[in-house]
Amino acid sequence: MNLNLSFMAETFVHALTGIPTTLKITLVTMLISAPLGFFMALGRMKGNKGGGRLAALYVSFIRGTPVVLQILFMYSLLPSLLNYLFKSILHLNINIFRMDPIVYAYIVFSLNTTAILSEVFRSALMSVGHGQMEAALASGLSSSQAYRRIIIPQGLVVALPNICNTTINLLKSTSLAFMMTVKDIMAIAKMDAAYGYNYIEAYLVVLVIYIILCTLVQILFKVMEGSLSGYRRRITA
Amino acid sequence: MLEINNVHKSFGKNQILKGVDLNVEKGDIIVILGPSGSGKTTLLRCINFLERAEEGTINFDEIHTSFKGASKQDISRIRKRTGFVFQNYNLFANKTALQNVTEGLIVGRKIPKDEAIRRGKQALDKVGLSDRYDYYPSQLSGGQQQRVGIARAIAAEPDVILFDEPTSALDPELVGEVLGVMKSLAKEGATMIVVTHEMGFAQDVANEVVFMDGGVIVEKGTPSELFSRPKDERTIQFLKRIIREDFDYSI
Repeated sequence: MNLNLSFMAETFVHALTGIPTTLKITLVTMLISAPLGFFMALGRMKGNKGGGRLAALYVSFIRGTPVVLQILFMYSLLPSLLNYLFKSILHLNINIFRMDPIVYAYIVFSLNTTAILSEVFRSALMSVGHGQMEAALASGLSSSQAYRRIIIPQGLVVALPNICNTTINLLKSTSLAFMMTVKDIMAIAKMDAAYGYNYIEAYLVVLVIYIILCTLVQILFKVMEGSLSGYRRRITA
Repeated sequence: MLEINNVHKSFGKNQILKGVDLNVEKGDIIVILGPSGSGKTTLLRCINFLERAEEGTINFDEIHTSFKGASKQDISRIRKRTGFVFQNYNLFANKTALQNVTEGLIVGRKIPKDEAIRRGKQALDKVGLSDRYDYYPSQLSGGQQQRVGIARAIAAEPDVILFDEPTSALDPELVGEVLGVMKSLAKEGATMIVVTHEMGFAQDVANEVVFMDGGVIVEKGTPSELFSRPKDERTIQFLKRIIREDFDYSI
C-alpha cells in the first residue's frame, strides 16, 4: 500500500485551517456549559426537589442518547422549528436557514456537555465531605459562605481531572460537526480526500492533528491542577 | 448559663435521645460518658444545631427557644457562643492552620483581619503550634490537626466549648498532647462539655460526670461519686468494662 505523501502534506496544512473552528466549538461550549453545569450541580446538592428531579431527567436523557442522534435530530428539527417560531409566531423576517451552522453545533454540544459537567461538579462537591461543612457552620459561617470559601474551592480542584476528560471528549466529538456542514478539521480533510479517494491518508492526518490538540489540552490541565492543589502537598522534608 | 431540657431526637424510627436535661454553669467541666449508641454525640450536636432535635428547649443566657422552633438568627447566635471540636478534626483542607482559625473570626464574626490574625496566632500559640501557622492540614499529624481544631474552637472566646470524642481518632501516642491542651484550657476556667472515653481525663478534670445510656441520662455526679460509688447497674457494668479495657491496654 502506497501512501500519497504529498497529498498528506497538503491536506495537513489545509486541515490546520480547521483548528480554529474546532477550538471555537470546544471553547464556546465549555464557556456555556461550565457555569450551567455548575449551578445545576449546586442546585441539586442544596436539595431543590423539583429542580433536582428535572435536572436528573435531563441528565439521564442526554446520557441515554448517542451524540450522533442528538446532532441529526437537532440539525433537522431545530431549523424548521425556529423558522416556524420566527415567521408564524413572532412575525420576524429572519432567514433561519442562512444562519451559520456552527450555532447548531454550539447548541447540541452545550446541551450534551452541560449534562456531563453537572455530574462532574456534583460528585466533586460531594467529595469534599460533610464534616468541613459542619465545621464551617460551627465556626459561625453561613452555609453559602461555607460553600463559597470551603466547599467550592476544594470541589473545583477535585473536578479538574474530570473536566479535563470532558473537554477532551468534547474536542473529539466536535469532529461530528461535519454532519452539520461545519467546516472543522474533519470536514476539510474529508473533502480533500473525496477528490482522489485518499481517505486513509486524510484520516491519518486528522488523527495526528487530534492527538496533538488533545495532548496540549492535557498539558494545560496538568499545569492548572498543579497550581491549584498546593494545599494537598505533603511534608517533603 | 446554658440549660437544655427534655431533648428528644430520632433518626427515622430510631429514637436516639429520649428526654435529656443538662445544666451548665460558667466554668463547669462536664464529661459525658456512655456506651456507643447512647446518644452522647447526638446530644452535643443538638446543642450546636448540627442536628435538629424534635422536642426540648434551650436557654442560653438571654436566648430562650425550643429546638424545633429556633430561628436562623437564634441558631447563628448560639453557634457564635459555642466552639465545637470534632472527632475527625474536620479542618478546612484548603486553608492553612492559621486560616482555619481566622476563617470563622473574619467571615463569620466580622472581626477585622489584623485583629483576627492576632487572635488566631494567640490561639495557636496556646495549643503549642506557634511554629505551624502556615502549614496545611495535610502537612500536620493527627494530634497537631486536632490541636488546630481546638484553637479554631477557642479563638472566638466562646462561652462553652463542645468536644465530641476529641481523641478517639488519634494514635495512642498522640492522645496525650490533645488531653494536655484540654487540661490547660480547663485550668484557665473555660466551660467545657466533653464526650470522651478517657476515664483519666474525666477523673482529673471534670467537676461533673454524666453517664448516658439508651438516650437518657442514667446517673450523674462528681467524678469521685460516680467512679467509686456508682448506683445504677448500667453504670457499674459500663465502668467495669471500660476500666478492665484500660487495664488491658496498660499491660
